[in-house]
Amino acid sequence: MAAQSTPHPEVNYSTRVDEISGRARTLNSVRAVIVILIALIMLIPVAWMTLTAFKSRPDAVAVPPKVLFEPTLEGFLSLLTDRRQLTAEQIAEYSQRTDLNWADQIALSRGQVITGASNYPQRLANSLIIAGISTIFSVALGLLSAYSFSRFNIPGAGDLLFFILSTRMLPPVVVTIPVFLMYRAIGIYDTHLGMIILYTVFNLSFSVWLLKGFLDEIPREYEEAAMVDGYTRLQAFIKIVLPQSLTGIAATTVFCLIFAWNEYAFALMLTADRARTAPPSIPSVLGTGGIEWAAIAAGSLGFLIPVVIVTFALRKYLLRGVTFGAIRQ
Amino acid sequence: MATIQLQQVEKKFGNVHAVQPMDLTIQDGEFVVLLGPSGCGKTTTLRMISGLEAVSSGQILLNGRDVTWAHPSDRDIAFVFQFFALYPHLSVWQNIAFPLQAQGESGANVEKRVAEVAALLRIEHLLRLRPGALSGGDQQRIALARALVRHPAAFLMDEPLGALDAELRETMRAEIKRLHIDQHATTVYVTHDQIEAMAMGDRIVVMSNAVVQQVGTPAEVYHKPNNLFVARFIGSPGMNLLSGHYTDGIVQLLGSGRYPVPESWDRALKARLGQHGTVIVGFRPEAARIGASGALAATVYATDMHGGYTMLHLSMEGEGGEIIHARANRREHFKIGETVRFDLHPDMVRFFDAETEVALEEVR
Amino acid sequence: MLKNQAAPPATSQPKPGRQISDRTLSQLFIWPTLILLIVINIFPLFYSLFLSFTNYSAIANRPPEWIGFANFDRLLNNDDIWGYFALTGRYAVISVGLQTVIGFGLALLLRKKFRGSGVITTLILIPMMLSPVVVGLFWKLMFNPSYGIFNYLVGFTNPATAPDWLANSDLALWAVIIVDVWMWSPFVMLLCLSGLSAIPDYLYEAAAIDRAGAWFQFRRITLPQVAPLLLIAVLFRTIEAFKAFDLVMGLTGGGPGDATQMISVEIYSQAFLGQFRTGRASALAYIVLVIIIAVSNVYIRTLNKVREG
Repeated sequence: MAAQSTPHPEVNYSTRVDEISGRARTLNSVRAVIVILIALIMLIPVAWMTLTAFKSRPDAVAVPPKVLFEPTLEGFLSLLTDRRQLTAEQIAEYSQRTDLNWADQIALSRGQVITGASNYPQRLANSLIIAGISTIFSVALGLLSAYSFSRFNIPGAGDLLFFILSTRMLPPVVVTIPVFLMYRAIGIYDTHLGMIILYTVFNLSFSVWLLKGFLDEIPREYEEAAMVDGYTRLQAFIKIVLPQSLTGIAATTVFCLIFAWNEYAFALMLTADRARTAPPSIPSVLGTGGIEWAAIAAGSLGFLIPVVIVTFALRKYLLRGVTFGAIRQ
Repeated sequence: MATIQLQQVEKKFGNVHAVQPMDLTIQDGEFVVLLGPSGCGKTTTLRMISGLEAVSSGQILLNGRDVTWAHPSDRDIAFVFQFFALYPHLSVWQNIAFPLQAQGESGANVEKRVAEVAALLRIEHLLRLRPGALSGGDQQRIALARALVRHPAAFLMDEPLGALDAELRETMRAEIKRLHIDQHATTVYVTHDQIEAMAMGDRIVVMSNAVVQQVGTPAEVYHKPNNLFVARFIGSPGMNLLSGHYTDGIVQLLGSGRYPVPESWDRALKARLGQHGTVIVGFRPEAARIGASGALAATVYATDMHGGYTMLHLSMEGEGGEIIHARANRREHFKIGETVRFDLHPDMVRFFDAETEVALEEVR
Repeated sequence: MLKNQAAPPATSQPKPGRQISDRTLSQLFIWPTLILLIVINIFPLFYSLFLSFTNYSAIANRPPEWIGFANFDRLLNNDDIWGYFALTGRYAVISVGLQTVIGFGLALLLRKKFRGSGVITTLILIPMMLSPVVVGLFWKLMFNPSYGIFNYLVGFTNPATAPDWLANSDLALWAVIIVDVWMWSPFVMLLCLSGLSAIPDYLYEAAAIDRAGAWFQFRRITLPQVAPLLLIAVLFRTIEAFKAFDLVMGLTGGGPGDATQMISVEIYSQAFLGQFRTGRASALAYIVLVIIIAVSNVYIRTLNKVREG
């Protein structure tokens, strides 16, 4: 066992002997290779969708599937515009024109003319408005509650917090039916307001829990010092606690944004057209006859990119956000 | 049991030395204490012996066998961690049985050996509990039991008492000492507490700045420190160290004190410095013999009552005189500002080279 | 979590007029949240309980009429419904089981850091951050028997003989499971990683000194230490599996036939499609809620047992 003969490079870092043995090193390399392979395999669907977004209509449904193809923006065009099929004469006529922009030209190459914007941009805008505003409310209200739970002696705080968390366990369908009836009765079915209220509540329990975790870590001595110096509790909260909890607020904001951004079930059941968000719309992006996969992929891609960017920006907090009540309880 | 040999063992973190190449031989059954301030490399040395830290260069021999690259589990050593490192989800019994079960020992044998070691440490009543429910002292007993249970060749202990309060520390110190005497197991013990080191070690390895400063028995490191670091670090307070200029049998101290050098040391100083040169005079507080005929004089600066004796803080006479500590009989009373005369016991004086800080050898 | 509430909050000197007391402030801070939760979550909960005892239909122009347990009676005596429950249960068990194995395995592989392991971990997390319905959609493309890439990747290179995952009623459930596992194994991995990283190094050092082999260490230290978080991951995923909706809608819409008609999809169809049987859908939703609560309780008890040993 004593391996005098084993040549060892100079070890000038902290490590256990058994972790630098030949066997351990081999195992580590194997481990890294396996992990990288799994990661790559898991990314295939995302990669495939990205490729599809840039395919022409025939390429998207080519048999066998094409990995190499000539990229085009047709998919994005189909997603964002409404088009009309042209007759042969019209195509010939349009081809003569010199004032066509790149989008028109793509449409023309498919024998179509753009008649206007599709409803997708409007729905993306709905998504932005609803997710954005509801997130602001969730975080703001969540912050206030979290501060109270973190700093004040609230009778039954444990039960209250559990109640707040448990609302998230409800299957959305249980809540949706009465909410649907309620919204219809007071006339906020299929409105931005209705969806904003719903998503605010949807995220609130999460936001309270997450923010309480962050606030608990800010020493209360800071505020107490400020209050001794003559600040009111409210001033201390605004001037001392808020600036210190900025990271927590940022992390919570992004989590709420992603949830609201991705939400499908409520949006499907509580909106029809005016306030419909992107997730229930993407499946219904249809071309003139048959599913337009490039358009769907383009819609998905545009929808996913922000989330992927945020995931990377936020990876430090992911663990914490996902395990929110779990460890603390 | 076992002998442990370190041959030119060295540890680097990047370009920084955690342990400069060191040699050390630990005899079978010996209790060796690695002593030094935090960051001196003592724990790293201990972890290198265990295999929990790989050496940068050099060899470690256990009973003559080269174990430098052997896994921790192949070294047949037990390790007692500073914060006990008990398995929190296992009962005390399961914790102690762990090393046996890890080796696939049979049920009856495990029962027997756990019972034996539990009796030895008087922890039979704790076996069903979880470590979290126990006091620090009991947790440390469990950790010791887990180490003892498989009769390892050697014990390595990393500040095992560091996490305990002062009173408990003293009790556990005695228990560990007692265990060592009974078991006669080779033990390497790390601590930053020189009192603990003095009380427990057969030999002490004093380390500082990744370098071994001195290896010796407690009496040796106390009375004959190799250098100024050891002189200051061992003892509380440490050795009194007075700078002075030697000329022809006399050391002119800072301030106005003049210290006549004992004959045996005079030869040593002459050999080292010639007719004159700078030197540091060192002596323990108890080496000062207070009496009206003393050659040295100092004023009382403060006094600490220690029960059995009084510790005097004295300011050596003259402008720039240094502060020293001297031990006085508790029955004598000293007033602040009073002048005290004293002599140094000739056998208890040490001299250090002012430049290299290394101790001089007496020439008899 | 109540620990730091032990110290009394430092009350500053009340200055009449502009100073709000801590008590008022905490009420002001908490009530908006509670009111919203009560209006949007608790009231609907009771209202749907009421509806479940009526024959109400959201598109019929008549008020709800009390019909007692008729809805429950009908639902519980309907073999189709039992079939959907069984389907959902099967889906939950298989899907969560696979996620647990894969997620825990990935976490074990990723526990020790290596160059680039942070980026790899984040890449693996991407699926769970995506919108389930969008995920369902592009897997639909991948599963397409002629131009989908999935069959090619798993070895069926001839479109003529390759399985049509979403049109085959035996395979459709497995298609949903594959996608669910793809999407949510990272979640289990994430929780397990946080569990694994919370195991202190010194336990493994002690185990190495105690001469425990790799398997013994895994069984006696890693597994018991990570078990609480693993169970929490399983709990969350099981609840979600019983609520499965978005993904199924995006992928199969419950089809072919009713091969993937999960219970949530059934509630949706009852409530919002065809005859808008609001009352009956509410009753079904309540049955699901009771099941979720029951399952959670079993898990939480197991969890506490694991924690206390």
